[in-house]
Amino acid sequence: MVYLRSEEHLSRWLSDNGWEPGATLSAAKMNELSRAWWWTRLDPGWRPRSADESQAILTDLGLTGDFWALR
Amino acid sequence: MDAFDLDVRRHVYSSVVADGRPPTTTETAGAFGRDEPEIADAYRRLHDAHALVLFPDTTEVWMANPFCFAPTPHRVTAGGRTWTGTCCWDALGISGALHADAEISTECACCGEPLTLVVRGDALAEGADTLCHVLVPARRWWDDIGFT
Repeated sequence: MVYLRSEEHLSRWLSDNGWEPGATLSAAKMNELSRAWWWTRLDPGWRPRSADESQAILTDLGLTGDFWALR
Repeated sequence: MDAFDLDVRRHVYSSVVADGRPPTTTETAGAFGRDEPEIADAYRRLHDAHALVLFPDTTEVWMANPFCFAPTPHRVTAGGRTWTGTCCWDALGISGALHADAEISTECACCGEPLTLVVRGDALAEGADTLCHVLVPARRWWDDIGFT
């Protein structure tokens, strides 16, 4: 999961490596996802999330479809 | 994940925040008054449960996500320390996990040009239009977490 400065650089990076595109998010959207995903990671009472709970975080941010399916 | 493994995991994460690095199994054994092999087994179980990531064939912590303990292009200054993020998701996640503002110094994966992102409060104050690319579909993230 990498940062890229523009769509042009993304296309070149994929082409240079011979990779098919995955999913592209703005850093603003990734920040929303990161905060939702990691917010409780240091809580003393942390417990592992279920796959359904993790999937719900993605869904709530509109990250749906086969690419974002955890199972 | 049983109560002992959760305690070991909590100790690893609290040590990361306090010391900027994860404890060795010997250090954790000392903290718990247990034998080192018992702690090594707990580290391996936490790795298998995706609660930690160990360097291959060792009991050294590679990732206590979102924190990473191997070099990457993603340097995150937050909470009075500079951290390493595993990837673009984790680099931003360090701010979320610490509940702290952050400055991320990173680079474009294509050209290596330096990029800076700044998190203030809940939002990006700088770098919001930088792109993040997720190459691997979600169900395959843990097939090779280092590549993901």
